[in-house]
Order: sequence, then structure tokens, then C-alpha cells
Amino acid sequence: MKARRFGTLIGLVVLCLVLWALTPFFLTVSNLLNIAEQTSINAIVAAGMTFVILSGGIDLSVGSIVALSGVVLGLSLHAGYSPAVALPVMIAAGVLAGATNGLLIDRGRLPPFIVTLGMMSIARGAALLITEGRPISGFEESFRALATARVGFVPAPVLIMATVYLVAHFVLTRTTFGRYVYAIGGNEDAARLSGVRIHLHKPAIYAVSGLTSALAAMILTARLNSAQPIAGTMYELDAIAATVIGGTSLMGGEGTLAGTLIGALIMGVLRNGLNLLGVSSFLQQIVIGGVIVGAVLVDTVLKRPRT
Amino acid sequence: MMRILPGLVCLLAAATSLSCNRAGGDSNAATARPVVALVLKTLNHPFFVDMRRGAQEAADRLGVTLQVQAAEREVDVEKQMQIVENLIQTGVRVLCITPSGSREILSALVKAKNANVPVIVVDTRLDAKAAADAGVRGETFIGSDNYEGGRLAGRHAVTVTGGKARIGILEGIAGHETADSRLRGFRDAVAGEPGMAIVASQPANWERDQGFNVFQNMLQAHPNIDTVFAASDLMALGAIEAIAAAGKTGKIRVIGFDALDDAKRAIDAGTMDASVAQFPYEMGKAAVESAVKVINGESLPADIMVKLEMVTKATSGKATEGSR
Repeated sequence: MKARRFGTLIGLVVLCLVLWALTPFFLTVSNLLNIAEQTSINAIVAAGMTFVILSGGIDLSVGSIVALSGVVLGLSLHAGYSPAVALPVMIAAGVLAGATNGLLIDRGRLPPFIVTLGMMSIARGAALLITEGRPISGFEESFRALATARVGFVPAPVLIMATVYLVAHFVLTRTTFGRYVYAIGGNEDAARLSGVRIHLHKPAIYAVSGLTSALAAMILTARLNSAQPIAGTMYELDAIAATVIGGTSLMGGEGTLAGTLIGALIMGVLRNGLNLLGVSSFLQQIVIGGVIVGAVLVDTVLKRPRT
Repeated sequence: MMRILPGLVCLLAAATSLSCNRAGGDSNAATARPVVALVLKTLNHPFFVDMRRGAQEAADRLGVTLQVQAAEREVDVEKQMQIVENLIQTGVRVLCITPSGSREILSALVKAKNANVPVIVVDTRLDAKAAADAGVRGETFIGSDNYEGGRLAGRHAVTVTGGKARIGILEGIAGHETADSRLRGFRDAVAGEPGMAIVASQPANWERDQGFNVFQNMLQAHPNIDTVFAASDLMALGAIEAIAAAGKTGKIRVIGFDALDDAKRAIDAGTMDASVAQFPYEMGKAAVESAVKVINGESLPADIMVKLEMVTKATSGKATEGSR
């Protein structure tokens, strides 16, 4: 497992070296910050996705929750509430949607794929409904600072991403909740029989995913100066890809947040590098798809019992 | 563990060599040539493919290197913003862009301004007020007037129906300047006619399959619709399929927008009545020509309007010529 994490990191470093050799624009401070900023949204969504996948589940609704919590934020700000009120409200919306997923999966004994597929449609529809399909644009500079401000030379979204990962890493490795995430993913029945309160922890795991989706929506809304009901489409696939490239097993129970962060960075570096090289956008999709499949292939090969 | 490395390297090497092939034999001259970027909404729409062809023709003629990038999906403003940020890093001289969102793209254009990259806006206007607030000013706007195009379609509908019709409308993505303008133009043109009733108006999000489904549903609810206005040809083509599936081909007039090749064929075949032609090839050409003027320090008019035309069975052969 350690070797695999190491492998992903080496993959990232080699990718960077190749790009450095191919284009003079890659290895500059401004471009690296640029990549970190562009990666932040996917990385934050993927942090929550990692909790879900570690627990043996999947969350297809993250993109729609990004849209829903984003427009809740936009509408609250336009209704005249300060960010101090609007941000807790939008985060509550994300957490609520996530917890609903978890409750239905746990109490309803439904497959996560089905429940979150339903939520994907419900949250998207709700976002479109409350905005009548229109984007909500134009916010105060004080709010936009969440995306535009820099602390020293570090863009605010990068700091938020770092904070999310530090907190999430602490929760996952140093709390009982974190250990139960792995336990549920490893063997849910065994976890239940050894006294893990699944009814409490499952909804909490999906609520974490809702929370990170809302945090991503916060940055996205500030970045675009607009909350769009159509925002976040396909984010679920990017987040799953980052998690899987990072070595988390789709079967649950195995993986790390550090891996997910590296996975998100590999995707960000690839997209950036392919843009810098002027590679056609069609070819970019092929390359990114190839990397996802390649990473999982490595994952599978490494897990095969040695003979 | 090491297996991922050769994979990554191979993919990148392949990608790079392919992209170099595209640039052709002028790769050694490329370093000296100024680079003009054209950022499109998407490349999986014939409209933008035509625009790219026009831009490439002008770039080859005027001796500049053209870099074309687009998001995978037309509505993905965040991805478009990333592309702009990345292109700024490569030191492009001029940025031509078809904004995926009239307001949302402004954050990216502020970054271009701060990096002293002049911007030429193509096809979709920036939101005037938001742009002024953000301090963004494009060098020029190149496009056709979507409102006027909508009116053209509306007036055509009045003429061919004799001022009496039950109309179903397929809208584009709500909140998009292009979609809104076309619909406003169409509605304004038929508003003065008491016999022209709009019985249903639903979004089909610019897509062909949604055009099919939405119009099929519309026909269920309003079987007596006799005229369709679709804010884009892809949706119109979807509606034509739905009409065929309902066995009503020839009984319902379909008016589209964009005059795509498929639409022109449908007009020739008589399954479609008319389409408003824009000239994306001309837009792409004008964008690069204007970019070169900016590089040479020449001044540009605030707007460069590209013509619009109503394509009907009588004119469709001619229009095909015109768009080349």
C-alpha cells in the first residue's frame, strides 16, 4: 500500500518533469499557483468522495450538490444577507443533501449508486427550479475575496484546499469516526458486529461529502462571480477519478487522502500541461481517460497476490 | 508501481507529437510568429468547427500561429476560465473568445487584462454592465445580432403562415444571452399578430436528442401545433425526427437557427421550412484579422457585425456557397 502511494507521487513528479522538458511555460511560480488554484475545486470535492469510497460507497450527487448549495448561496447573498449568514446556510444545504443520501442508503437499505443517482437529479432539478434556470451573478468584493484574495502569494482557494485536507486527514486518521470509515468499508458486517454504530456513521460519511461539495461551491461561486444552476456537471466523475488515481480502492477500506490530493493534482497538471502544449481538446480527453485507466490498472496489478 | 510512468510518458509524447503534426511544417518558424488564441465554447458543434476553419484560414494568410482550445462541454465556464488562465501563461498576444457565460467569463478576462493580453469577443456579447463593473473592455465584438435573427425568423413565420399559427418554441439554455436574444426577437416579431399563438415554449438546451424528446412531449400536450421555432438547428433537427415519429412530416413547419449543413439538407428535402444563417466562418476570419490589427496597433470599431440570412428552399443552394 505504501509502495502504491509512492508510485502515484512518482507519477506526478515524472509528469511534471516531462512537461518541464516540453514547455518553458510550465515550471514558473505563476503557473504552479495557477494549477493549484484550478485543482482546488476538484480536490475539495474529491476529499469528501474519498470518505464515501473508503466506506465502500459512491456519491454521484456531488456535482448537483455543488450547484444546489451554490445557488442557495447566490440567492442568500442577493437577498441581502451577509456572507456570515449565507455561508452557513449554503453549507447546511450541502450537508443536509448529503445526510439525506446517507439516511436513505442506511435506513432504506438501498444501493448508494441508486440513491445518489436520484439525488443527482433531485438536487440539480431543485437548483434549476429555485433559480428558474438562470445564473445568479454579481457579488460583493468581500465575498469574492474567497477566490481572488492572496495570502502572501498563495491564492485563497489553495489555502482553503490545504485546510480542508489537513482537517479531513486528522479526522480520518486520528478520530474514531475516521477509523470506522475504514472499518465499514473493509467489512460492514464485521464492523456492525463489533459494535460500530452504522446508523450514525453512514449518514455522517455522506454528510461529509455534502459538506465538501458545498465548500467547493463556495469557491466556484466566488471564482466565477456567479452561481449557476448548471454548474458542477460531471464533477462526480472528476472527483471519483482523482480518488481512484490516488489509490483508493473502489471496494472500500483502502486508501488515503494524500493519495487523493496527488490524484487531483495529476489531473490538474495534465489539463494545464495539455493546454500549454496546445493539444486539441479532443485529444486531451483521451489522454486524461488513459491516465485514469492506467492508474487503476497499476492499482489492480499491485493488489494481485504475488506468486 | 513503475508501470504508471511509461504510460504517462507515452501518452504525453503521443499527444505532443500529434499536436505538432497539426501545426504542420512551419514549426521552426512558429517561435517567431505571434500566437493568437481562439477559445471556443466547444468543438463538438459544427458552428464552432466552421469558426475555427475561418480563423485558421486567416491565420495562415496573415502569418500568425493560431491556438484553438475549447471546453468539453459548451456550458462549462469554469473549464473555459482554466483554459484562459493557462493560455495567459504561454504569452499569447491576443485572446479571441466566445464566452460560455456573458458574466461568468469576466473573472478570467480580468486576469487577461492584468497580464496585458488584449481580448476580442466573438459571437456572444459580454454583459455590458458587469463588464463595466469589472473594468473589462474587449477590443471589439464580432458576431451577428441574435435578436435581429430571432426577428427575422418571426417575420418569416408570419409570412409563410399568413399570420395564423399555433407555435411551439424550443428554447436554448435558460439565462444564456444568445438564447434569450433569439427568443426575444422571435416573440417580438410575432407579438403584433393576433393570429400567431405561442402555445408552448420549453428549453431543450441546444441539444438534438433533447429537441426530439421535448418536442415529442409538446406534441402530446398540444397535438395541434403547426409551427415550431427552435433557437438552434440541432434542436430543430431533433424536432423533425419527433415529427416523423408521430407521422406528421410535412404538416408542421420547422424554423431553426444556424443553417447547419444537416439543416440545409432537411430544407432541400422539405422536412424543414427555414433556418436563420449565421456565418461562423466569417466570424472566425474576422476574429483573427482583428487580432492582427491589434498586434499592429491599429484601432478597431466597437462592433463588427456579421450578416444574417434566412435560408429557405429557394435560397439554400446560395447560402451553402456563402458560408464557405
